Amino acid sequence: MIFNLANPLRFQRLIEKIEPITFNIAITLLLVGLFFCFFGSPPDYLQGETVRIMYIHVPCAWFSLMIYSIIALCSIFSIVFKHTLADLISRSCAPIGACFTLATLLSGSIWGKPTWGTWWVWDARLTSELVLLVIYLGLIIINNAYEDKSKADRYSSILAIIGIINLPIIKWSVDWWSTLHQPASISKFSSPSIDPSMLLPLFIMTFSFFFFFISILLVRVRGEIIQRKIEVIRFNRMV
Amino acid sequence: MGKYKVKLDFFKLVKREIRIMLKNFSIIYSFSTFFVIASLIFVFSVNDISYVKIFYKSIVWIVLIFSIMLVSENFLNEDFNDGSLKELQFLGFSEESIMVSKSIAMLVMIMIPMLFLVPLVFVFFQITLYELISLVINLFLATPSLTLISILSSLFSVQLKRNKIIQFVIILPFFIPMIIFTTSTGTSFEGYNLKENQFLILIGIFFITLPVCLMAGRLIMREINK
Repeated sequence: MIFNLANPLRFQRLIEKIEPITFNIAITLLLVGLFFCFFGSPPDYLQGETVRIMYIHVPCAWFSLMIYSIIALCSIFSIVFKHTLADLISRSCAPIGACFTLATLLSGSIWGKPTWGTWWVWDARLTSELVLLVIYLGLIIINNAYEDKSKADRYSSILAIIGIINLPIIKWSVDWWSTLHQPASISKFSSPSIDPSMLLPLFIMTFSFFFFFISILLVRVRGEIIQRKIEVIRFNRMV
Repeated sequence: MGKYKVKLDFFKLVKREIRIMLKNFSIIYSFSTFFVIASLIFVFSVNDISYVKIFYKSIVWIVLIFSIMLVSENFLNEDFNDGSLKELQFLGFSEESIMVSKSIAMLVMIMIPMLFLVPLVFVFFQITLYELISLVINLFLATPSLTLISILSSLFSVQLKRNKIIQFVIILPFFIPMIIFTTSTGTSFEGYNLKENQFLILIGIFFITLPVCLMAGRLIMREINK
């Protein structure tokens, strides 16, 4: 089943079926999630209304890491098996990941001003997230720098694998260094943990972002497949 | 017997690289000149010398990173253009040994001018003897990682005919942890305690950088020679 779908053309046909469904689910969940964010959850006793930024910030931060993990996995797969679909997915993921990372930094910054009293601190978590953004930008630049796309894919795969080093640093930076950014509180079940009334909108938004990511990814992968087809046709005409 | 042959070949390779580097003495000259002028520009841009005294380590490291990156391009471009990179692989040298030999040559190339430049830094930035010793230890511990990363960055861009600035964009994020730790070592330097001054972290960074750069370098070199 999976190996059948590994063919870009079959995958393209599957995308055409799945993409509208995922997009509709994403929009529905987003609307429900936004309702719960604004009306279904209470303001924090300490942070007040600014706590609602968390419903955007936390999923974005999770997805910035998750997308990089997908890129890294696809890169390993691409280097080992030299599979085109892995290259296409990692190439398509990079701009989406960069957008999520940028959204994380911006929303964090907006939250930081009223809470910490500053837009930005050179905190280990913030700095490592900024490094992640720069790595994403590097990947995007490499993908567009070489005329030979297969070469660009190979180089960006190598860079993505090197960049894996940054993922554990982001994850555990709050534990390794004494940072202003608070340690993990969502996955923590002992007290003080997040209130269920806040947890529900957070998870709805996370699922909404997940389906949104999937639908955008599918659109981009389809675009890449079509672009490569056009290149092959152009090349054949030249020959 | 075979083991010794491999060893000998590797040393020959290192010798070749150093010999080529010494023949192109202009690279060392331009590296030193760039280092001095760029440091001076920083000094001139600040009116109050007390600020320079505070930021001397950051200035030295930023200038060093850019000068190394500019030089590393020459190291690989010539070998790639005249085909000797491919030839070395054809002769049976592993990609790792090629990369290590180039790094060693580059390290020698950086360290020789550094011996002359460090006293200049001492005078320009008006630092104390302790700070100077800290800076020297810093340079010796962090430069191997720096050269490895620079060689890797030039490998990335060796096939690019235009837009060489990509080399900087790709690799600069990987210098960030090094910059953080190298600049933080000097500020708390009192005596010669290695443990307290995070010098061990620099050694640790080297042991992370070495396998990662060698692995990535091997993959890129194979891709280049396809």
